[in-house]
Amino acid sequence: MTSSDDIAVLRARDFWGAIVLGTLSIFFLWRTSFIPLFGENRAGVSGGDWYNSAALVPLGLFSGLLVLSLILLGISIKSGGAKMAFSALGLGWDKAEAIRFTTLGLILFFYIVGLVPRVDFILCSGLLITALIFGYHGGHQNRMMTSCASVVAAGGYAMFAHLPRSEWALLSDDWITLVLWALLTVVAVSASPRERVARITPILALLLPLVLVLAMAFGFRQNVPNRGGLIFKQIEYHYYVTLKPLWSR
Amino acid sequence: MEFVFSQLMGFGSAFVALVADPLTYAYLIVSVFLGITFGALPGLTATLAVTILTGFFGNKIPLDYSLIALLGAYVGAIYGGSYPSILLNIPGTAASAATAMDGHPLAKAGRGGEALGLITTASFIGTLIGTAALLIFVWVLLLVSQNIASPEKALLALFGILLSGTLMSEDLVIKGWISGLIGLAMAMVGLDPLLSEPRYTFGWSYMLSGFQVVPVLMGAFAVPQIMEGLKHAEVGKMVALQGRILPNMKTIRRYMPTITRSGVIGTGVGALPGVGEDVAGWVSYGVSKSVSKEADQFGKGSVDGLLSSETANNACIGGALIPLLVLGIPGSPPAAALMGAFKINNVIPGPTIDPAIILRVVAILVLASLTMFILGLFTARIFVKILRIPKTVFLPVVMVLTTIGSFSVGGGINDLYLMLGVGFVAYFMNLMRYPIAPLVIGVILGSMFDETLRRSLFLSDGSLGVFVSRPGAAVLLMLNITLIAAQIPALRRRLSRNSRKEA
Repeated sequence: MTSSDDIAVLRARDFWGAIVLGTLSIFFLWRTSFIPLFGENRAGVSGGDWYNSAALVPLGLFSGLLVLSLILLGISIKSGGAKMAFSALGLGWDKAEAIRFTTLGLILFFYIVGLVPRVDFILCSGLLITALIFGYHGGHQNRMMTSCASVVAAGGYAMFAHLPRSEWALLSDDWITLVLWALLTVVAVSASPRERVARITPILALLLPLVLVLAMAFGFRQNVPNRGGLIFKQIEYHYYVTLKPLWSR
Repeated sequence: MEFVFSQLMGFGSAFVALVADPLTYAYLIVSVFLGITFGALPGLTATLAVTILTGFFGNKIPLDYSLIALLGAYVGAIYGGSYPSILLNIPGTAASAATAMDGHPLAKAGRGGEALGLITTASFIGTLIGTAALLIFVWVLLLVSQNIASPEKALLALFGILLSGTLMSEDLVIKGWISGLIGLAMAMVGLDPLLSEPRYTFGWSYMLSGFQVVPVLMGAFAVPQIMEGLKHAEVGKMVALQGRILPNMKTIRRYMPTITRSGVIGTGVGALPGVGEDVAGWVSYGVSKSVSKEADQFGKGSVDGLLSSETANNACIGGALIPLLVLGIPGSPPAAALMGAFKINNVIPGPTIDPAIILRVVAILVLASLTMFILGLFTARIFVKILRIPKTVFLPVVMVLTTIGSFSVGGGINDLYLMLGVGFVAYFMNLMRYPIAPLVIGVILGSMFDETLRRSLFLSDGSLGVFVSRPGAAVLLMLNITLIAAQIPALRRRLSRNSRKEA
């Protein structure tokens, strides 16, 4: 961080950062007031003294954060950050970076919140790897949006069609993810058939999650996300019913 | 003398036990190889290597093997960062930033092979210096730490967070402190350690047990790097590796004073709470520049400069483990990830730690550095090929590894939500140049700080005098106050005016 432009951008970001931090500090100071501080009664039992209260340290921490946020706000305003804080240029964000961040944020959100709990891990991770490599390898914005649309469609369907935990084992979202992954793979390979990365992506996207899940489930004997998923269910069934008896006899 | 002898005996038996176990070699080779690979790929760091392996090996295999895997990756990654520094002029890890200053000019001059051989040897010797310091000082400090009570622990935790925030900030120092306080605040979530009073749980039962360390580590260190790294960038122009890699022993002997001095500096910097290998590399580079006979060559391809940063960053590993094992305060960001591994194995680093674990850690570090030395000298060309893999190909793989690693430690989907939330926050903090290491150290030390501070006040019936009546606590209180006061602009101006007058 050397150039004065960079520092000006930082001070503009600090303006918003300080406001968010100050607001959160006030919110949590308010929440801290719910914890008994001066020995109030709790369920008929007298609480301890102030110095033993569970609110003591949080009170100090959030007060400290509030003070530091005010100092940061002061530094930002003194350095002209407040003036620049209301323009995208002043914040150092351009359209390309906004598209990159938004698409990437959506992909990660729908992968973790929508797909991983509800869809077979091999399928959803295959889709994620394909989407991220295809979308971000060359830096093309239309590819980022295509990748984002495919993950959001799969994750959005999984999330909204099977929101409650009781429906996480249903398989319609697995099929939709599989179809979208296949389509995206076709698009990725046909977009640049001669490129080495495009040729490697489908192999990587299939093998890596498969090997990882097998190692976790049968090597380390650990839980893996969504054991009832389309592919893993079959693997687990055949491991215990077809393969294991061969060496357990 | 008897003390040294007993230490060496203990170390010897731990070393023999490890050497006699064939599985040790499998874990060592795989973890050091993975570590060097992580270090060599620009965009992946030593902290990330240790964090991701914590997800995989943290609590799934016996503690000894888990430590081999994590320490092997730590040693390998710090060393591996030098490859892109020398051949691409892009530091693989922050710890190797100073290495690029002289390593790259050497490679451009056709001495890339020689530079790699020298730094491999220097990293090996540096790790051994740090490990020797760990073996000696950890016991002395453990004896001292038996007298440390709650007031000292609380002030030490605060000092660690403030010092880490002060030294790790690239921009304003208060950003480092804010980061540390956010970490401490995150540690307040859940049932409080003394009265089991629920705090900030918002009625969600998952929050009652507080934030789990591994998802926080993964979120703080992996997710922002993935988000930041997924940009189109051409792989830099690599300088062809010329010359033999096996080092010339004459050159090593000639630069032995530099290596020894840098090893000592690296260990010392590592022993400071929360200050990592990057600071060690730069401090050692700066000291060497001021005392070296070839100071005018620094930045143009000085072997002295190259060795000073590379020795120090590896020596820092042993140093960083001293406060971790003695006090439970991580000495560097990768040590914070190691602390996470200890926690999920129910091992509490600090004065009550089993001494056998310390001896095993020392033996593992010696074996890991030896493995790194052999792999570095004989398989360097494989790592040079790895440098050609674009970030946009390996970062999606890292995301999948992070997800399954984070899930498998706790076995719950909520851990993934936590990881993602922390990841988004850490990404914006990175964007605003807030250091992330103090946040993680805050999360790790938060519970200890809360418990010991309140315990101190409880024992003294609410008297704040408990923090000045004990000599150790008084010294630590003074250090904390000095650290804060040194950043107050009016005081800084006055101090600099006074020093100008004296001059």
